Amino acid sequence: MATFWDIIHLLTGTPLLFVAIIGLTWGILGGALPGISASITMALVLPFTYTMDPAMAIALLACVYIGAEYGGSIPAILIRTPGTNSSAATVIDGYELNRQGRAGEALGISLMSGVIGSLFGLAMLVLLTEPLSWLALAFTPPSYFGLGILGLSVIASMTGGSLVKGLSSAVIGLMIATVGTDPISGVNRYTFDIPDLLNGVEPVLVMVGLFALTELMSQSGSSNVTQLKEAVRIRLPSLAMMNKLKRSQFIGCVLGLFEGLTPGGGGSIAAFMSYNEARRWSSTPEKFGKGSEEGVAAPEAANNTVASTALIPMLSFGIPSSNSTAVLLGGLLMHGLLPGPRLFEQNPQVIDSLYVGSFIAIIAQIAVGVVILPAAIWLVNRPRPYRAGFIFALILSGIYTLNNSQIDLGIALFLGLVGYLMRRAGFPFLPMILGVVLGHMVESSYRRSLVLSGDDMMIFLQDPICVGLLLTAAGFVIFSLTRELRDARKAKLEEAHP
Amino acid sequence: MQLRAGLLYLAGAVAGAVGLSAAVMADPAPYPHKVVTLVTHSSPGGGSDVFLRELSKYLGRYIGATFVVENVQGGSGAKAMARTAAAPADGTVFYATTPTYIYTSLLSKPSKTYKDLEPLVNVFTDTEVVFTRTDGPFKTLQDVIDHAKKERGKWGAANPASLERQAAEQLKRAAGVNAAIVTHEGGGDMMLNVLNGTLDIGIGEIQELRSQLEAGKVRLLATFNPERIPEKPDVPTVKESGFNVQLVKFRGLAGPKGIPENVTKIWDEAVQKVLADPEYKKAYTEEVLVPQFIAHKDYPTFIDDFATKTESFLKETGAIK
Repeated sequence: MATFWDIIHLLTGTPLLFVAIIGLTWGILGGALPGISASITMALVLPFTYTMDPAMAIALLACVYIGAEYGGSIPAILIRTPGTNSSAATVIDGYELNRQGRAGEALGISLMSGVIGSLFGLAMLVLLTEPLSWLALAFTPPSYFGLGILGLSVIASMTGGSLVKGLSSAVIGLMIATVGTDPISGVNRYTFDIPDLLNGVEPVLVMVGLFALTELMSQSGSSNVTQLKEAVRIRLPSLAMMNKLKRSQFIGCVLGLFEGLTPGGGGSIAAFMSYNEARRWSSTPEKFGKGSEEGVAAPEAANNTVASTALIPMLSFGIPSSNSTAVLLGGLLMHGLLPGPRLFEQNPQVIDSLYVGSFIAIIAQIAVGVVILPAAIWLVNRPRPYRAGFIFALILSGIYTLNNSQIDLGIALFLGLVGYLMRRAGFPFLPMILGVVLGHMVESSYRRSLVLSGDDMMIFLQDPICVGLLLTAAGFVIFSLTRELRDARKAKLEEAHP
Repeated sequence: MQLRAGLLYLAGAVAGAVGLSAAVMADPAPYPHKVVTLVTHSSPGGGSDVFLRELSKYLGRYIGATFVVENVQGGSGAKAMARTAAAPADGTVFYATTPTYIYTSLLSKPSKTYKDLEPLVNVFTDTEVVFTRTDGPFKTLQDVIDHAKKERGKWGAANPASLERQAAEQLKRAAGVNAAIVTHEGGGDMMLNVLNGTLDIGIGEIQELRSQLEAGKVRLLATFNPERIPEKPDVPTVKESGFNVQLVKFRGLAGPKGIPENVTKIWDEAVQKVLADPEYKKAYTEEVLVPQFIAHKDYPTFIDDFATKTESFLKETGAIK
C-alpha cells in the first residue's frame, strides 16, 4: 500500500495527473459515440501506450474505462442510443426524462451516481483485491451455470407486457448465441462455412444493430423533429434528490460489486439487474419506464462500480471478466507485467498509480463532465439527416474495426432490420440481448458441469453457490409472473367493468 | 511521430552496438526484397504476434530486409491463410504457423487451407505441461493416473479443438483409465478450475502458467516435450513417467506455394543463426520456448505428418467426418 509520500511523488514527480485527465476526457468522448464501446475506446489508445511508462499506461487505460462508463449515458439520455453496452439500461428512463424536458437533470443524476459508484468500486478495489481473490476461485462450472440462469430469470420481468413476445425475443437471442464453434466439442454450428462466424456473433453487433441502427431507422421514418434546447445544461442533483436516490444507488453499487467480481458478468448485466432491483425496492415502482430518476441512478451507479471492481479478478488472477478488462490485460502483458499476486509485490508503482490515477479521474469527472457536455449537445443538435449520416458512418466504421470484417457489417445491418420489425410488432429487445450475452455462458457451463459429473444432474444440487443462485432465480420468476398475471387480470376486470 | 522515429533510430543504434560487441557480426545476408511481411492470425500481444515481433527484432541481423508484422485476425487463422496464399510467392509474405492453422483447416474447411501454403522452416516448439494445484493431493503424474484408475479422473484442456485436448485423450488411452476431459475457453478459464480443485490436472502451455508458477500456486507434474525442460530439470517428461505420448507444438513460418530456392536457402541459414544469437537465446529461454529448427526440405513432411495424425484424432472424437 502506498504511503502519503508515494502519493505526493506520483502527483508531482510523474505526469499522472495529466494522464488521468486525458484518459478521462478521451473515455467520455469515446463512450459518448454510439457504437464505440468502452472496450473499443480503450483499444483505440492501446497502441499509443506502447512507448509509455508501464505505470502511466495502465493508469491511462483505467481512466479511459472510467470515462467511457459515464460517457455512454450521454447519448443514452439524449438520443436514445446507448454509447456503450452497459448504458443500455439507462436508455429506458433517461430518454424518458429527456422527453419530459429534464435531460439536464438526467445527465446530472447519471454523473453523480456514476461518481458514487466509481468511488465505491475503487474503495472495494483497494480493500478487497487481495483478500477477495478467493471468491473468483469459489466459482466452479455449476456456479457459473447458476449465475447465467439467474441473469436469464431477469427476462421474466422485462417482457414489456407480453410474456409470449418477451420469451420469443429471448429465444431468438439464445439461438444467436449458439452460432459458432461449440464450446465443449469444437464442432462448428450454423457457420455455413463462413470463417467469420467461427467465433460466433459478437454481442456488440447485436447491441449496435438492435439499439443504434434500429433507432436510426425509426428516426428516419418519423417526421416530428425533437430539437433539444441549446440551453440544456447539466444540473447536478440537489441534496434532497441525492437522498431520494440513496437506495437505488446502493443497489447499483452492491450488484456492481458482485458482477464485477464474477467473470462473465460485466457492466451490462449489472446495469440491467440493478435497474430491476431498484424497481422492485422502489417506493414508486410505477414511475419506472416513465421517467424515474432512480431508473437512471441505479444502472449508472452499477456500471461505474463494475469499471473498478472488474479489475479485481483481472489483477489478482489475470482473468478478464469483460471486454474492457481484457483490453487492460492486453496492456499489462504488452508491458511485460504478469497479473497475479506477485504483481502487487513486484510492481507496486503500477498498482499505486492505477489507484491514484483512478481516484483523480473520478473526482475530475464532475468538472470534466460538466465542461464537455456542450460539445455533446452540439453534436446532438446538428440537423438530423447529417447527424444520422454521421452516426451511421461512425457505427459502421466502429464495427468494421472490431475484426476488419465485412460480414460483421452485414450482421449488424441485418439485425438492425430485424430490430426495426421487432419494434413495429411490439417485441421487447432486452430479453434478446440477455439471451445473446448469457446464452453462451449458460450452455458451456451446463455442459462442462455434465462432463465433470459424467452426465449426473446431481452436480448442480451439490454446489452450494449454484443452488443458492438457482433458488434466487426461481424466486424472481415466480414473483414476476404472479405480478404479471395479477396485472393482466386487473386489466381484464377493468375492461369488463369500466 | 518524429519522437517515435527518433526513438526507433536510437533503439536501432543501441541494438546494433550491442550486437557488434557481443559477437563477430557478419553482414546480414542480401535478400531480394526490401520489406518482408510476417502475417499472424493472433491479435497484438497474442502468442504468435509476440513470437513474430521478437523474432523480427533479431532477424534483421541475419537477413538484409525490414520485417513488418501484420495482424490478420478472424476465423481462427482462416483469413490469415487466405491472405498469405493470395500473396506473390517471391519471399515477401510469410505466415506464422502453429497447430491452430491445421485445426482450422480441418475443422472449418475454409477456402484456403494448410495445403495451399508451403511450409518454410520451423523455429520453435512450445512447452506443454501437465500441472496441478500445489496444495492438492497429487505429487506425480502416477498419482493422477492411480486416482483415475480408482475413481473418475477430471482433466482439463484449454480449448475443445486443440493439441492439449488431443494430448489429454492420448494420455487417457495410453494409461487405460477413465477420465473426463473437460474443455474450456482459454487457459485462464481452466486455471481457475485447477486452482479450486474442480479438476485434478490441467494441460496447457507453460507460458500461460508463469504467474501462478512463480507464485507457487501450481506444480508441474510432467512435460509433453520429447526432452526435459532445461530450466526445470526435475520435471520428468510424460514418456519417462511411463506413458508414450509426446507433443510438438510447433512454431514456424509458411508462405505461398512455390517460394524460389534462393529465398528458402537464405531462411534456412538465417534461422539457424538467429537461434544461436546469444541475446535472442536469452530472451526465448526465459519464455521457455525450445528451439527446434526444421529445414525447408523436411518441414513439409513434418507438417503433413502432423496434419494426418490430427485428422485421424478429429475423426475418432467425432469432430469431423
